[in-house]
Order: sequence, then C-alpha cells, then structure tokens
Amino acid sequence: MSGSKPDILWSPHHPDRYVICDSELGLYRIGPSSGAEETTATLLAINSDTPYMKCVAWYPKHEPECLLAVGQANGRVVLTSLGQTHSSACKELVGKEFVPKHARQCNTLAWNPVDSNLLAAGLDKHRADFSVLIWDVSSRMALDSGASANEKLRLSLAEADSGSVVTKPLYELGQNDACLSLCWLLRDSKLLLAGMHRNLAIFDLRNTSQKTFVNTKAIQGVSVDPHFHDRVASYYEGQLAIWDLRKFEKPVLTLTEQPKPLTKVAWCPTRTGLLATLTRDTNIIRLYDMQHTPTPIGDETEPTIIERSVQPCDGQIGSFAWHPSSQNRMVVVSATNRVMTDFTVFERISLAWSSTSSLMWACGRHLYDCAEDSGGGEGSAERDIATKMRQRAGSGYGHDTVQLWRNHLLAGGDDPQLKSLVFLPMMVTHMKLCAEDLELKIQGNKQSLVYSGIKNIVKTSATESRRSWSGSEWQTDVPRFHSDERCLALRLCGWISRGSDIDVETFLRSLEQEGEWERAAAVALFNLDIRRAIQILNTGASTAKGELNLNVVAMALSGYSDEKVCLWREMCSSLRLQLNNSYLCIMFAFLTSEPGAYDGVLFESSVAVRDRVAFACMFLNDVQLPRYIDKLTNEMKGAGNLEGVLLTGLTNDGVDLMESYVDRTGDVQTASFCMLKGSPVDVLKDPRVQCWIENYRNLLDAWRFWHKRAEFDIHRGKLDPSSKPLAQVFVSCNFCGKSISYSGAAVPHQGRGFSQYGVGGSPTKSKVTSCPGCRKPLPRCALCLMNMGTPVSHCPGTGRSEEKVDLTRENKLAQFNNWFTWCHNCRHGGHAGHMLSWFRDHTECPVSACTCRCMQLDTTGNLLPADSS
Amino acid sequence: MFVARSITADHKDLIHDVSYDFHGRRMATCSSDQSVKVWDKSENGDWHCTASWKTHSGSVWRVTWAHPEFGQVLASCSFDRTAAVWEEIVGESNDKQRGLSHWIKRTTLVDSRTSVTDVKFAPKHMGLMLTTCSADGVVRIYEAPDVMNLSQWSLQHEISCKLSCSCLSWNPSSSRVHPSMFAVGSDDINVTCSGKVQIYEYNENTRKYAKAETLMTVTDAVHDIAFAPNLGRSFHILAIATKDVRLFKLVPIRKESTSTGPTKFEVQIVAQFDNHNSQVWRVSWNITSTLLASSGDDGCVRLWKANYMDNWKCTGILKGDGSPLTGSSGQPTAMSTVLGSSIQTSQNALNGISAGSSLKALYISAHSPNHSHIHTPVGQDCHARR
Repeated sequence: MSGSKPDILWSPHHPDRYVICDSELGLYRIGPSSGAEETTATLLAINSDTPYMKCVAWYPKHEPECLLAVGQANGRVVLTSLGQTHSSACKELVGKEFVPKHARQCNTLAWNPVDSNLLAAGLDKHRADFSVLIWDVSSRMALDSGASANEKLRLSLAEADSGSVVTKPLYELGQNDACLSLCWLLRDSKLLLAGMHRNLAIFDLRNTSQKTFVNTKAIQGVSVDPHFHDRVASYYEGQLAIWDLRKFEKPVLTLTEQPKPLTKVAWCPTRTGLLATLTRDTNIIRLYDMQHTPTPIGDETEPTIIERSVQPCDGQIGSFAWHPSSQNRMVVVSATNRVMTDFTVFERISLAWSSTSSLMWACGRHLYDCAEDSGGGEGSAERDIATKMRQRAGSGYGHDTVQLWRNHLLAGGDDPQLKSLVFLPMMVTHMKLCAEDLELKIQGNKQSLVYSGIKNIVKTSATESRRSWSGSEWQTDVPRFHSDERCLALRLCGWISRGSDIDVETFLRSLEQEGEWERAAAVALFNLDIRRAIQILNTGASTAKGELNLNVVAMALSGYSDEKVCLWREMCSSLRLQLNNSYLCIMFAFLTSEPGAYDGVLFESSVAVRDRVAFACMFLNDVQLPRYIDKLTNEMKGAGNLEGVLLTGLTNDGVDLMESYVDRTGDVQTASFCMLKGSPVDVLKDPRVQCWIENYRNLLDAWRFWHKRAEFDIHRGKLDPSSKPLAQVFVSCNFCGKSISYSGAAVPHQGRGFSQYGVGGSPTKSKVTSCPGCRKPLPRCALCLMNMGTPVSHCPGTGRSEEKVDLTRENKLAQFNNWFTWCHNCRHGGHAGHMLSWFRDHTECPVSACTCRCMQLDTTGNLLPADSS
Repeated sequence: MFVARSITADHKDLIHDVSYDFHGRRMATCSSDQSVKVWDKSENGDWHCTASWKTHSGSVWRVTWAHPEFGQVLASCSFDRTAAVWEEIVGESNDKQRGLSHWIKRTTLVDSRTSVTDVKFAPKHMGLMLTTCSADGVVRIYEAPDVMNLSQWSLQHEISCKLSCSCLSWNPSSSRVHPSMFAVGSDDINVTCSGKVQIYEYNENTRKYAKAETLMTVTDAVHDIAFAPNLGRSFHILAIATKDVRLFKLVPIRKESTSTGPTKFEVQIVAQFDNHNSQVWRVSWNITSTLLASSGDDGCVRLWKANYMDNWKCTGILKGDGSPLTGSSGQPTAMSTVLGSSIQTSQNALNGISAGSSLKALYISAHSPNHSHIHTPVGQDCHARR
C-alpha cells in the first residue's frame, strides 16, 4: 500500500483498540487522558512485516484476538498479528499465506462472520481465472487432525521451504471477471455479495455455479447495514446506491451529489440507518440518516434521508471508522501524517424556551430541562431581564402607587437606571404643585406643563446676576442666572426643596447623610460656598473609611486662586483628569473654567444628569442653556438613558427616550408603569405606549401572574379611564328576556359584574330571588334547590365551620359563595359555594342524568395563578 | 448559571422538536417514532407524560401549541406530507384520574405534495391561523373561521417560495403598528441560489402576502429561523441557524401612511457566530428576546445575550447530555492553536525515538491545555501524529 491512503479498523472485541494501516500496521489504544475530558491514543505496536498492503481485514472471533488478514499487491493474502502474546491457535495461523494461481492485485478481503475460518478475497481480473477466492484458514489444522501421514509429511516439507503456504482455495467464484469489493451477507452466512466488474453478484456457497446479479456501475465498497440485513450500500465515483436485497433489480435510492469520487462508505454500527460517506480530498464526512426502512413494495415512497455533513478536523481526511459500540463515535485519520481525531457525531438538538425562562432541549431520545440556577452566587445584575421582570412583578414593582419611592426598592435596588426613575413620580407630583405656583404667570397650558420635563420649562428668559464667593476674599464674581422656571428646574433636580426657600443646605445634609461626600462638596462649590465644600470633604475624610485623600482634595481646593495665570490653575486643569471620582473632577473643572465655558462640567458623562442640568440652570445663559439641554436630551434619547426622563418629562420626547430604553433592554415593565403616569391625552394614546402595555400584560399572563395583571388593569383604569373594558356577561330572565341586573336596569352596559346577585343580608336586596322585570323567580341552585338570590346556607360539603380560619378571608369567601355560577357546557349551575364543594368530591355535574364533567372542561381554568397568596 | 437535568422521554427514536405552551406548564415532543407526547409540569416542577399517541405515518418533524384561548390545541407536521391539528378533550373514560389526557385529531391538512417541514400558528390577534411549509417550497396559511370547530380549516393563502422550505417563523409582534409578517428559511444546499431567507408581509389592500425582503447574504442551507418576541421594540430581530448563528435586525423605515406596498426594512446584521463550527440546527428566543439559545453539530447548546451596547456574547455552553462545560471560552481561534501545539508536542515526542525496530510501543499524548479543548466545536478529543 502506498503510504498515502491510510485506513482504520476498530478491533471487533476491544472497544479501545484500533489499527491504522498505511505502509505498515499500527495498533493503538485509546483512553481518557489524565484529568481532562479529552482522550489520548497510545501506540501499542507496529507491524511492518507485510509490504505492498492493499487491504486488511480483522479476524472477527475473540480468539485469537489480534489476527489480521492482509491482502497484497501480488494477490497473496497473509495472516499476521500485532504484538500479542501468541496463543497456540494464533501461532498456527500467523504467517500463513494464501497464494492465488496468477499474481494480480488483491482488492478486498472479508472474513465470514459465522464460519470464521472462511476468508474471501477479491482479486483483479486475470484472463479467465477466478477473481473471488474463498480460503479456509484452518485448512492445515483440519489436515493436522484428520489427514493421512503421507499428506502430513508432504505439507511439512512444503512448510519447510515456503512457510505455511496454501494454494488451493476452498471455493473459486467469479470466473472471467474482476472483483472490487466483497461482503458476507448477514442474513445468511453462506451468501457472499461481491462488487464485480459492472455488476453486483450474490454467490451462494451451497451452489457455486449459480449467482444472482444485477448490472450496475456502483460496485465499490459494498457493505450491509448491520441493523437491517437486506439493506446494502455501494458506490461508484460520486454516486451512492442503496439496495434492498429483496428487490435487487435496481437501487432503492441513488444519491448523486458528490462532485468528487467517494472513498469510503460505512454503516453506523450503533444506530439504525446511519450511513457515513467520505469523498477524496475533503475534510467533511457526509452522513445520511435513513429514517425509514425502505420498502420494496410500493416504491412510491422514497426513504427519508436527513443529510448532514460533519467536519471532524481541519485537515483532509484519509479514512474513518465507526466505533463498534460507542454511540455515534468514530476515529478519523488524516490523509497525511496520521493525525487522528476521536470524534463523536452528535444528534441534532432541538430546543425551546419556556415563558418562565427554563430551557428544554431534546438530544437523541432524551430530554433535558435546564433552568437558571436561582441560588447561584452571581449578582442579580447578571440575570436576564425576563427573570428580573418576573421577580419585580412578583414583589409588586410599580404597583405601589402611594409610596412611589418604594418601587425602586422592590426592583431590587441595584439598577442605577431605575434609581433615577424614583424621581419621576416625585417630579410629576412636584410639577402639579409647582404649576399651581406658576399659574398666575403661565396662562392656559397648565395641563401640559404638569407632564413636561426641564427641556420645556427653561425656555423663558432669565435675569443675570453676579454673585461673589461667599466666605472668601476673592473679588471675582461668577455670573449666575435666575428665573422662576430655572428655580423650578432646580427643584426638580432635587437641589432645592419646594417653597420659597432656595437654599441648598437641606440637600447637602441629605447627601452627607448618605455619605455622598464628593457630590455634596461639588454642589456646595457650585453654590459658591468653598468653605462649606472643604468642610464637607473634611467630614467625609474623617468618617468614611479609607477616604483620606478627600483631605488632600480639600487642601487643593483651599489653594484656589482667581488669578488667570498661575501654577495652581495650570496643574489643576491637567491633573484633575486623573481623579477617580467624577465629582471631584468637575469641581476643579469648574474652578479652572472661564465663566460660561463649563464644558468640563457639562459633558462629564459619569456625573448624574440631574446635577449637570442643575449646574447648567445656574450658570448657562439663555442662549447656551436651551442648546445644552437639547443636546443632552438627544444624547439621552439616543442612549435610552432613563435619567433623561428628567429632561423630557412624560411627553412625546419622553416616549422617544423610553422607546430607545425598551429597544435596548426589553424592560416593558418599567416603560409601562412610567408611561401610565403620563398625560392620558398625548402619551397614553401613543401606539408605542399601548404596545408596551399590551406586551407587559401579555407577559404577566404568560407567567400566570393573573392577579398582578388584574391589579395592573385596575391601576391603569384609574389613570386612563378609556382602558376600562365593558361588562362581559349579561344574564337575562328566562321569562321576559330582560336583564336581571338591578342597578343595571338603566345603564345595562355598566353593570358591576356579578355583585348584584349577592344578597349579603341587606334588607333592600331581599327581593333578588325574582326577576326585577317580570317578578318571576330566578332559577334554582342545582344543589340547595333554592332560587338564586337566596343567601347561601351552611355548606354541608365543607364541614370546616369549626376550624379556625382567617375571619376576613372567610367573610370574603362567604360573599362569593352567594354568587350565581353555571357551566357553559351543560348550563346547569347554582351557588358558587355549593358548586365548589360539590366538585371537590365529584367530577360530574350535580344535576341528575347530566354527565357533563363541568370542572374539567377548561384546562387553563385548572391552572393556578402563580402569584396567589 | 444554568443547570440541566435529564428527563426520561421514552421516545423510540430521535426527538425532532420540543414545544412549550403559552404558560410553560405543558410541553409537547415529537419524534421519528411517528408519535407525539404531551407533558405536564407538576407543582413540584417534575414533568409527567400525560399523553402519547401515534400521529403520523412518518417522522414527525415539528409540533406546536395554539394560544390557550383557542383551547388545548396542537399542530404537528410530518414527512408523510400532512399536517394535523389535535385537540385535547375531556373523554368519557377516567383518563383524567389516571393522570392521562385524551387527544383527538380534528383535521388533516393534505395539500402538500411533499414532506411538510414546519408548522406554526399565527399570532393570536390574527385569529386561529395555521401555517405550514413544505419541501416543495410552498407556504400554506389555513384559517379556522369558527374557533369552536377545529375540523374546518380553509386554505387562505398559498405562497410559492421557489426554494425547498425547511422552517418558518411568525413575527410574534401583536402591535397594530406592524403588519403581519413571517419569515421562511430554505435548506436548499445550492449556494448559488438566491438568499435562503425570505420575509413575507401581509398587504391590507391586496389582502395577500407579498415578499418584503430576501436576505441575500444568507446563501447556505438554513435549518431554523426565529423571530424574536418584539415586546414593543421599534425593530425586529431574526435569528437564523445556518452554518453559523446569525442575527439580523430589521428596522422598518417609517413611511408615509399614504404609500402602499410592502414595508421597507433597513436590514442590519447584528451578530454572526461560528462557534458551533459547523451546522447550527436550532435557535430559540426567550420570552423577552434577551437570551438566545442555539444548538449545533458540536453537540452543544449555547446561550447568547446582548449587553447594553448591543454586543452579543456567549454566556453559557452546555453539552447535549446536560453536563456543564468548564471554562467559558470556545472560540475557534483557540482550537487552531491547540491543534498546532499538539502537533508540535507529538513531533517532539517522536523525534526522540529512533525508528529502527519494527515493533515498539511509544506513548503519544494529545497534549493540549485543558481550558479550551473540550469546547472545540468539532469535538475531537484526540490528536496523535506520526
């Protein structure tokens, strides 16, 4: 064999051994390497005794275990072994040679899987000679036991000069022909399938004169499906043919997609109908998964083929071999250099996410359920928004309409984006109050102002005043701007509190309490109180742990001088960029900037938008301020940064911003709750807002948070009355056809649901057992046989009246027990309480001769909400 | 961190599809064994098979749930050229007590001349509509005009895609802002054919579906396709399983309300991952379309997530048998270096040994750093070289 084309054979009995043959035979053992999940191959033995190898076949029986038949270029077949302890049987066989009459290439070898002493060899054509020779490898041993002494002598002589050479085959088949491939049929060990020149032939050893054959070009690589013994594959050039031996006239399937000639075809020994094929000069193995056994009758139906290609390694593949027992595993050897790859063909995995963030996949015949490990040590920030929203919904995020600030805590308190929203509801309330203050000045558009952000507020002109530094000796005044609107903006930013007081001291104290020293110092500095700033930093340095360099900053601050050119200014403007805290950074930026050119402060993106806006409101003039606010707004909109809501308010701008936020995060929960607070006229009618709300409600439904969804709807109905749904059910009297609703008589579509039918012991409702229209009695409860409207008497089914139960809850349920309910299928019904207690023990309707399984009709109805307490 | 556990499926052959219902409490599987199984989740989170029945006379490729407002309804499609609609009924028997449910076939849709490769219900706001696609390249849209009678389905639309269809996905957006839209993928292996993903959109004026977009850059066979739940975003994301995982963003170009014809999209490719290194078989979105799961020929399930800057990254790899992988890299680049180093090592090992005798043993270790090797998509575990 010309070392270029290697081949692999797995040991039929050792699951961890295989042989690679190219110019020599190499036996390898494969095993797990230490520690890792990968495997390593160990070379156990090399045999280079047999030159000119053309084909190899491994002896199929256990003993002797490492016996190989090698077919050579001159047609000889040699039995050889690979470095095993030689048992007697093996010794007998190894070295034996089987020589045909005429020398020609041996193309293929096949051991009979049952009569393992039979070895079939396929040879090239030589005139009228036979091309399929079946050798009996045990022929000499048979002679040993039964042959005459004469013959023994002759043989031993022959052995002496030419080794154990056998020249007489047991059978000679395929006269005047060439044989290119061979395999024994598994359904009958006497049948041999041979790929001859231009035909496939089946020889029967019991009657060698006869053969079944079919003319075809696909005569190479014949192999029988080990799981379906009538199915055979063969190939020719790039064409693959699948045959059914029961219907041998033509292939059941021909696959002609390969541009290059095939070199190997092998059935998977571990799975039914999986065929692997390899073409020349490629790094892919093609797999044909035959899903159905092809039926010879009614050949209309072609077998299903799922075609796959796998790429076991980067280089070109020389050959491959399926592992005999490991599922879908093969070893692949490269065309050159004998690089081996242990490779498993994986089944195609199908997968699906559930609405509750668990992933299910199917691999082969198995299912795997995969859920996010909630107990994991990672921060909740890492979790997916779906999980976060579900948790937040479960903890009541957004629903707390009284103490709005709590929503942030409910959300987990770890999201800076949501933290900024704490100010949003505050802002709206604030705006309402402030709008009253401003009412006198701004006529008419009070309503729209309530929802607008700072962007719309600061449009009016401001008066400029020059203020000097307090508590210092510098003379330079810093120009500051004032107007009522700017004041309002400052309030919204949280710098000054409501009312006439415009002092920031309250704000500074609260910041100090929260330990935000740098921020407090910056705010103090911007209010031109450098002493207070230094004092804050000192306090911070003394209380906070390890923040000693705040003192250093304080020192640097105190060195401030208002001279335009000095070392302090020069150093500060260059060194400030190295400060870690952005608030410290902007303090020096402010001090070293010219009045009106505060870009170092205004565009420091890690400073809260609130503080930057407040700063801008104080120090930018009427031209600069709107320009800055516009720029910042657009920036926030583009980034979907919720802090920008301060600027945009709950206006259309705000919807744009929120859209960008939703685009990025998918957090429709926050979007829905925020926009609900907005103006019902513009914002809530925006299709995008409607879409978020619909999507959020759908999410809650999918999570079975039906109570939360209902609460959300109630909340929404309060803020947006148009979203209230109409009454869903009308009950009309059997006799007069009028609605039996009392209060709804005048305006029936605004009926309050079922509550009218409850009596609750109130004397005014004592007549509800009859129709308000015609005074005829209402239907009777199927269980207590009282007319509906009669208060429920004690339910005998429950028997729990003695038990201690939560009284309020019991009362609520008692009201519900009075409700009239019925089955939509059989139209029988009665008091809800009676019905419930009946179906606790029964499956069928309580009405005689009605077999309706009322309680099982609706699968969704049997689902419990996930958020019930 | 995701943890997987195995469930005994008891299918006789390969499982081709898994599908959850709206609430995630029920699940359906279908298999080459021609059956469909329905699973219910118990209160303690275990899955129990409550129904298993033979559905088709061929491999069942896909199974899908209708929205629960239409009842407990499943649709399946098969190699036997049909699709079928199934409904759970409360039977006369006591199946329910034994924890079993009964499903009956409401209709068989026999219009296809070839294998029906995918079946999907349209979003519920469109009513009860079922879509199939088949290997002969036809997408069929059926409608049940009376949702109470699931045996009546009328073929509303028949759309020829010219290419063998392998998968389809409806845009789940229920917004009135977007017209109904679905995408079809083709597994035609001819690379020279035009784009393998086509997007169709409903035109209110013509009352027909018209092609809105063809993704010309997708030239290899497409095995699965999934529109991300839109959730009110201003764009759509489409995940495609072809020779790699690909994410496309479709941004509708806002047009004047007077103009007609299909919506124009600005198509951007958001991400492209070849970590599976060979064919990718399935893609699936979670409910908020913030996590994508994909499976491929490397036998692994990979999870993808976008950060705030819209960069998609792999956040988890699980092997097909549920065992976790250690480490987190899995880049193909790591693979090539590993391969290189292993060859280097084995060469060195060989150089030290003389090749004189014909019979000798030596040890060749596929020496590779254990951090990344097991993630290599081709999944080989052994290199030895001589």
